Amino acid sequence: MKLQRELQIVNRLGLHARACAKLVKTANQFESDIVLRQNEHQADAKSIMGLMMLAATQGTRLTVITSGADAEDAMTQVQHLINNRFEEDE
Amino acid sequence: MLSLSGTGIGRGIAIGRAIVLDQGHNDIPCYRISATALSGEIERFNHAVDAVRADLKRVQRNLPTDAPPETSAFIDVHLLMLDDPVISQQPVQTIQEQQQNAEWALKSHADTLIDFFEDIADPYLRSKKNDVAQVVGRIMGELAHSQGKQPSDLATLGSSLAEQIIVARDLTPADTIMLRGRNMAAFVTSLGGPISHTAILARSLGLPAIVGLHDVIDTIHNNDLLIVDAATGTVLVAPDEPLLAQFRELQQQHLRHQQRLTLLKSEKAVTQDGEAITLLANIELPEDIEGLRSAGAAGVGLYRTEFLFMNRPKPPSEDEQYQAYCHVLRRVEGPVTIRTLDLGADKQVDGGRPDRETTATSALGLRAIRLCLSEPSLFKPQLRAILRAAVHGDAQIMIPMLSSLRELEQSLALVGEVCAELEREAVAFNPKVPLGGMIEVPAAAVSADLFARKLDFLSIGTNDLIQYTLAIDRVDDSVNYLYDPLHPSVLRLIRTVIRAGHEADIPVSMCGEMAGDPAFTRLLLGLGLRHFSMEPSQLLEIRQQVRQSTLAGLPRQVTDILNCVETGSLYDLVDQLNQTDSD
Repeated sequence: MKLQRELQIVNRLGLHARACAKLVKTANQFESDIVLRQNEHQADAKSIMGLMMLAATQGTRLTVITSGADAEDAMTQVQHLINNRFEEDE
Repeated sequence: MLSLSGTGIGRGIAIGRAIVLDQGHNDIPCYRISATALSGEIERFNHAVDAVRADLKRVQRNLPTDAPPETSAFIDVHLLMLDDPVISQQPVQTIQEQQQNAEWALKSHADTLIDFFEDIADPYLRSKKNDVAQVVGRIMGELAHSQGKQPSDLATLGSSLAEQIIVARDLTPADTIMLRGRNMAAFVTSLGGPISHTAILARSLGLPAIVGLHDVIDTIHNNDLLIVDAATGTVLVAPDEPLLAQFRELQQQHLRHQQRLTLLKSEKAVTQDGEAITLLANIELPEDIEGLRSAGAAGVGLYRTEFLFMNRPKPPSEDEQYQAYCHVLRRVEGPVTIRTLDLGADKQVDGGRPDRETTATSALGLRAIRLCLSEPSLFKPQLRAILRAAVHGDAQIMIPMLSSLRELEQSLALVGEVCAELEREAVAFNPKVPLGGMIEVPAAAVSADLFARKLDFLSIGTNDLIQYTLAIDRVDDSVNYLYDPLHPSVLRLIRTVIRAGHEADIPVSMCGEMAGDPAFTRLLLGLGLRHFSMEPSQLLEIRQQVRQSTLAGLPRQVTDILNCVETGSLYDLVDQLNQTDSD
């Protein structure tokens, strides 16, 4: 299965190191491939360096693509984490 | 004796012996590996990565219960970076394919990564290059270790480091945690700025530190006796006995004083005869807000915005600025005085003006409001961002370095223009943001009454006012001795500005160093100043001084000081002023 969804980074600090770490840990729970795409750049959600190098600030729109057996769960969890500001206050 | 300067964190003084942590990656060896030795070299690299991982995990498991909550998360980041193919697998490929040694293979990948981060526009995300450097540095350290080199490593240090000062290229969050509870006196690093992990964690540990001392590793040797003076950002190497005695005394005074001052935290800044004085904070970084809160400031008298613009290729967008201003406005109770860009002179922006030669290096050159008016594309987004953010808090705009009324008129016109634009675009903004001017050029001070008629407040910037009035080049050491806040001309100008404000019935504040120096508090009160803005660390001290002062009588005593014709006796008179009825 392959899913694709548009999400926006809403936490103030953007995809900073600790947020990336949370995302990688979440992504690693799934078998599916998880890719974040911003214009021509894309990053493997299981690679912290890749995510950090996206340099996605607050307000950045990203396309999340999950593909594999648990693509649906993976999408739900990634979406939850991003929309929940990575459990940050702001 | 040698004196080194960097960026001081905190205000404490530490005296102790240096422990130089040679993190083993100053000289990176570069050599070819023969085909038969390749698998051994790869193994050496993998071992180093494994050793770093084991070490980080050990630190994470043994975190003290009072460690800042984000420490474990920082270590997580480093663990994940270590496991990222870019760091742990690509160098292996390079060793294999190009027959390079492990150090050089790692370095070439790390350099590419760090270059990439350097180009990120967002300052916070860009600063993450330090994490890359730290993780790579740890692997390099292990690689050096495996070659039989014995870097003095944190792990090999004794459990008590009392009266010792850690000297290193850079400290990782994990390093700082390993240092906890070992009782060392301070640390000194060659890398790092006021927002590095080192600095942030140092503040939370309450340790004095000097960061950004570039060649410190080469200049300081193990066991050197050091004095670290965080307030001035100075490290004194091998001081003589009299100097040592002097700093020991200062250190004791500082400690006793700090203990007494914390009692004043929630007391009001009221004089003995009941006049309330407004004490505000100067801030630069969002985390300065903590200091402001804990010292009970009534608001922000100077928010320096240059920080947002420095060390980056392009100026921040209007939205980025808007977010930054909102962040501060939402967290501060009371007014927040946002000073528009004061770039030029000693504060250069890296980019943003690509088509212009950097001729604006002079303090008398194209800087501050001059630069802003000459480049509306730089100035207007900032004004728009402030007016928009002002919906969320009590913002004020302060224009630096005004010297002529024409500049003021042009600035007011630009603000009007920006308001009209926002109105047309139906963007939420606050059209009634008070607009004030910084009075720091003698021309503006002399005719402060004219400026006061068109502005909502004045703020005296004493640092520049003194240098311009006395014609001192601040970067020329040989004329430093002329820098004198008590020069009668300076005091007269300050009096002129305060009077102009009173006559126009607008507030006058002071945001230069003088406002935060308790030696001048009574003098300034006597000149009629009622709003003081200073570094958060000075707030308690000034509050104490205000509470011990009686306003009645001060103006007369101060007039005597201003009329004093005996050179050199001004300092004695101010001393006398400070000693009267201090209990």
